[in-house]
Amino acid sequence: MIPDLSLASGGINANVWVVALAGAISFGVPLVLAALGEILAERSGVLNLGVEGMMLVGAVSAFLVADATGSPWLALLAAMAAAAALAAVHAFLCVTLRANRIVSGLALVIFGGGVARFVGSSVEGQPRGAEIDPLRIPGLADLPVIGRVVFQQDVLVYATVAVTALVALYIVRTRPGLALRAVGESPATADAAGIAVARVRYVHVIVGGAFAGAGAAYTMLVVVPSWNGSATTDGIGWIALALVVFASWRPWRALAGAIIFGFALRANFTLQAAGIAAVPAEILSMLPYLLTIVVLIALAPTAMRRRAGAPTALGQAYVRDER
Amino acid sequence: MILGRYEVLLEQRTDIRRSSALIVPVASILGALVIAGVFLWLTGRPALSVYARLVSNGYGSWYSISDTLGQATPLILTGLAAAFAFRMNLYNIGGEGQLYAGAIGAAWAGLAIAPHVSGPVAVIAVLVAGMLGGVLWILIPAIARAFLNTSEIVTTLLFNYVALFLMQYLIFGSSSFWRDPDSKNFPQGKPLPEVAHFPQLHFPRDVAGIDFPSGVSRVHLGLGVAILAVLVVWFLQQRTSFGFDMKVVGSSERAARYAGIPIKRTVIAVMLISGGLAGLAGAGEVGGRAYALDPNGLVLGLGYTGIVVAALSRYNPFAVGLVAVLLAGLRTGADALQGATGPLRVPVAIAFMLEGAILLAALGGEVFRRNRLVVRRIREAPA
Repeated sequence: MIPDLSLASGGINANVWVVALAGAISFGVPLVLAALGEILAERSGVLNLGVEGMMLVGAVSAFLVADATGSPWLALLAAMAAAAALAAVHAFLCVTLRANRIVSGLALVIFGGGVARFVGSSVEGQPRGAEIDPLRIPGLADLPVIGRVVFQQDVLVYATVAVTALVALYIVRTRPGLALRAVGESPATADAAGIAVARVRYVHVIVGGAFAGAGAAYTMLVVVPSWNGSATTDGIGWIALALVVFASWRPWRALAGAIIFGFALRANFTLQAAGIAAVPAEILSMLPYLLTIVVLIALAPTAMRRRAGAPTALGQAYVRDER
Repeated sequence: MILGRYEVLLEQRTDIRRSSALIVPVASILGALVIAGVFLWLTGRPALSVYARLVSNGYGSWYSISDTLGQATPLILTGLAAAFAFRMNLYNIGGEGQLYAGAIGAAWAGLAIAPHVSGPVAVIAVLVAGMLGGVLWILIPAIARAFLNTSEIVTTLLFNYVALFLMQYLIFGSSSFWRDPDSKNFPQGKPLPEVAHFPQLHFPRDVAGIDFPSGVSRVHLGLGVAILAVLVVWFLQQRTSFGFDMKVVGSSERAARYAGIPIKRTVIAVMLISGGLAGLAGAGEVGGRAYALDPNGLVLGLGYTGIVVAALSRYNPFAVGLVAVLLAGLRTGADALQGATGPLRVPVAIAFMLEGAILLAALGGEVFRRNRLVVRRIREAPA
């Protein structure tokens, strides 16, 4: 991932670590958005491994629309729509046709990556046509440390926190959220209670895709300054999948985890800015992936003991007994 | 699903017709061509002529067939790697990284061992080191899966990125053993001594239609290794007790436990063999094509395409060989299209788009092979 260094060059004497924290939040936004989407899909019982593919399709859509219209907001919408369309393919294959979910998710990554590289090949390496500027919150932005870290972010950062809260409330406190959990835990019971299992699954997989698309749009409009083929997202879709496990399928934990992973994702630039050149760039680039692997392995014993919040019906197709 | 007064449902077929084994794949490929055709049409390209060129570039001449077989060599091995593990519901999607690790190992053997030994030993050292590189690369995911039940899907995938950066570090980021010290401005891998180069297949120049610069084709020893691997995998699966253990563990861990089959050992063995197969693909790319560790020339998604090969061949090793050649032709054809002029100039990514579309279509098609679509009129409920 090629970072937008302009983001990190806030104040002349800005403390490196303050900038690093601010950057961690910004790098965390695509992760948490994609993870929230996956939480919605998995809570309905549908594993969708295609996050990386949906994000690539979303990112290229965001780039092309930003290029054509100059509007970051239209770019965001286009990314959400494109990723949601790809998610709908997964929903159709898994919910209606009951195909192998794992292979379907992988197919989404390969097809989505191929489509994105195909339509994006003519603009590869070009700078983006629009971006989302940071928003200084009057009064608060000038506070020491916290002002730079929290109150000079762009509007999508604040929106992401709000969306996390809404998703958390939706899952736990609303009727459709209750239906969602019922479908994910025991589809047969949900069906008997009159919940349309297939419809709930379709809706949440597709909305989950739109979330991944929003995350990809943020990557494209804030984090990475140009379309670089599959290196644009560079595996953050996969890290988001691990983040869901890390967060035990809970939105707020996903947000907290995303900041930690966001910190690792930009460790490269933090250490360079701090003047620590002892560790080569390529080795630092491995850090987020190694961290994710370590976290997954370290969490495994706990996950085995309590199933750590995984929806019971995750990965099971639901076939209503016929008569 | 209920549409108005009709009920639409999938009903499991009691008899799967033989002919469907052919009809479904063909229909899937046609479906994929239609999907990709939409994108070609949207970008202002004549889809049918593009496809015609793709086929003639991929399979139309002796030269392109030799090229396609050269491309198929790593795909057979990464396809086998995926198929062997997927069959047991072990989703090793780290073939890409295991291939890189295999290339690193193979290049090490080619540089460190080969100069001191004779021809066949040097080549064998390259192959073995490649295999070991792949095995090493899947070791942690395999152990974590067997003992801690950590999902191998995400761990194997994440290791792909680690391998990619490691390879880049060895060539671009450091003056490592693998890097050519004479390449200051454009860092490159150190060339392997000739003794480590895989033998190439020579076509006699007088055979009609063949015109290679030196009579040498792109087909190298690696293809023989890949074909041998197909036979070994088939034998392992069908004719050994290990293959039987695999089948039992794959279909029901509980049954395997009651039968006293060592589950953890079987899981680890299958994953290590899978990694070794992908590592062999990396060895072939180093010893048979690049003759050095060449990061840029290796990042072709060969491991990811292996997943497509495996899924399309329904994990059958012989089918893996055929599907690999088919998809390799797409890649050679797409490579040539990239160099074309006018509206037939198509980005090479069309190969990946087509691969993904074929896989999606085949997934849907497989369902219709096993089930039939039934549309029934809903009768009024009896009073």
